[in-house]
Amino acid sequence: MKIHTILCIEDDRFIGEMYVRSLKKAGYDVDWVVDGNDGLIAARNKKYDVILLDVMLPERRGSDILQALRGKEDLIPDSHVIVLTNFEQDDESRMAMQQHADAYLIKAEITPKKLLSVIQQIEDNQNTPIVKQAT
Amino acid sequence: MEVKKVPKQANQFWPYFSKAIYFTVVMSQIAVVGIVTLFLITFQIIVVDSIVFWVTCGLVTLVLLIVNVAIVVYATRPIKDLMAAIIHVSGEKGPSTPPNPNTKRNEKTGFKDALQTIYELSSGNTKTDNSLTTTKTSLTDVNSALDMTTSGFVAFDSRRNIIYANKAAPVHTNTDGKTTLDLLFNGKNTLDAWLDDCSEHAVHAENIWTRVPDRLPNQENRRFFDVMASYQKGANPETVLTLIDRTSTYIVDEESLDFIAFAAHELRGPITVIRGYLDVLNDELDSVLQDDQHELFRRLIVSSNRLSGYINNILNTSRFDRRHLKVHLVEDSLANIYDMISDDMQLRAGSQNRLLAVHIPADLPTIAVDRASMSEVLGNLIDNAIKYSNEGGAVNVTAKLAGNFVEIAVEDHGIGMPESVVSQLFQKFYRSHRSRETVAGTGIGLYISKAIVESHGGNISVRSEDGRGSTFTVSIPTYASVADKLKSSDNSNEGLISAGNGWIKNHSMYRG
Repeated sequence: MKIHTILCIEDDRFIGEMYVRSLKKAGYDVDWVVDGNDGLIAARNKKYDVILLDVMLPERRGSDILQALRGKEDLIPDSHVIVLTNFEQDDESRMAMQQHADAYLIKAEITPKKLLSVIQQIEDNQNTPIVKQAT
Repeated sequence: MEVKKVPKQANQFWPYFSKAIYFTVVMSQIAVVGIVTLFLITFQIIVVDSIVFWVTCGLVTLVLLIVNVAIVVYATRPIKDLMAAIIHVSGEKGPSTPPNPNTKRNEKTGFKDALQTIYELSSGNTKTDNSLTTTKTSLTDVNSALDMTTSGFVAFDSRRNIIYANKAAPVHTNTDGKTTLDLLFNGKNTLDAWLDDCSEHAVHAENIWTRVPDRLPNQENRRFFDVMASYQKGANPETVLTLIDRTSTYIVDEESLDFIAFAAHELRGPITVIRGYLDVLNDELDSVLQDDQHELFRRLIVSSNRLSGYINNILNTSRFDRRHLKVHLVEDSLANIYDMISDDMQLRAGSQNRLLAVHIPADLPTIAVDRASMSEVLGNLIDNAIKYSNEGGAVNVTAKLAGNFVEIAVEDHGIGMPESVVSQLFQKFYRSHRSRETVAGTGIGLYISKAIVESHGGNISVRSEDGRGSTFTVSIPTYASVADKLKSSDNSNEGLISAGNGWIKNHSMYRG
């Protein structure tokens, strides 16, 4: 299935605009929300192919959003989640998020061009089963 | 058990005993004389009619009293001396001079030996056990005293079972009644490892660990201890731990770790935007930029990349210093890891007019490696080689198999170092005199590189010649040589193997 719709949950205006601009230029249909609550609502109301999730968010942290979406049951089985953060989480919290995400990336290392290639790679890998990291 | 009673001391015995014996002698004397006199008068055996009778009775009583007292003094003298000697060796307050065993009389009577035996018996332990109060103090008192301290005390028998732990000790008892120690030692330097070593090589040994937490970060009531261990082979208890609660000191560092994590978050925000837009603009302006402007762009990109590399170094150093640095070793090839940073390194070398040549044989075996950390190490070494070599100089990166290790060498033909510098190179914040003046840097790159390489079970070393250049060599175990160990290790610290293929991490994206 081709990736088309993307939800970007990112509170930093510059970073959000930067990613959204490049994603739109590349032809994706992008929604952008800046706070955690809106992010969770958006993710539950509409089916996105990819969700870009920040960790340090106002109102609700990214880890809580991910827990709400994929903690007990997978409410977004058709979506791919890419955690994008600049915050150096401790190992335990990071592992907990990695369990429920398709990728966990440090924003400072991810230019818009690299983000596009990550999304491309996820699209390419869709048909091969993803092995989740053992805990 | 009755413990409130004040324990009697040995020096109280003699005054009580001597008073009692004199009292008994005098009273019995008076009683005997009185009864005899009464008997004689009652049965009119003698007639009480003259003063001579009373004087005679009085004199006889007095003489008998004196004789009896003298006998008592003579008879109880050895007891008195024995008591004085005991009081002396017990350390209690007593006569200023202890009885002398070497007097003529003692020698003659043989009492000398008795006294000497007491002195000899005590000479072995008078210093450590100089108070009868202590020896008489019950075990309950000791327990309640130990429970009052904030320091922990734990005793192990020779089978490493906990046979005693006071209240402050970080232990828990499970449903089977087995008590276990809750200490999270860092890496391989654990109590068990030390005890293994002791049981093989030592009779008596001591060791100290600092900053040992009892719980994971974010768990409530986390405490930090400095741990002192004493081991005495065959003794019971065989091992005794003393744990000083240093939470109040170390928690400050823990909070500053949070500070560094937050500071890094704030720094990385603007860097994300700078790197991101530089990348975007570099593409979008490609056709309009002139040659020298391309070069300026390249410098901007290199600089911002280095900035984000430094932040990673700082974060990792801070984690390492606080025992939070964890590596997750997975199977990967060196070529893959270098691929992650290859573009960035070429760009850096090019912008400083260095020739970077990398030769990694395709048939090298895979290594057990934390990809992000190892790419940081390679980046640091190549960055140094670029910094410390001359305009137009060559930097060569080569790799080969050496036993169970893959050896990576980063060689430059730059300024090199004298031997005095080499020995200090891997210290934190160390910067040689020359480099302080001429080359920008923080002095943590090699420090954290060494820490990362060693946490992989590898080695880092350097060969350098002043004025000729340096070669840094990193050796990392091949995956095949450690795979079993990693799989069997439950220690999440470094034993965790990620499935890898389901994961996309930053570094795999450097391939461009």
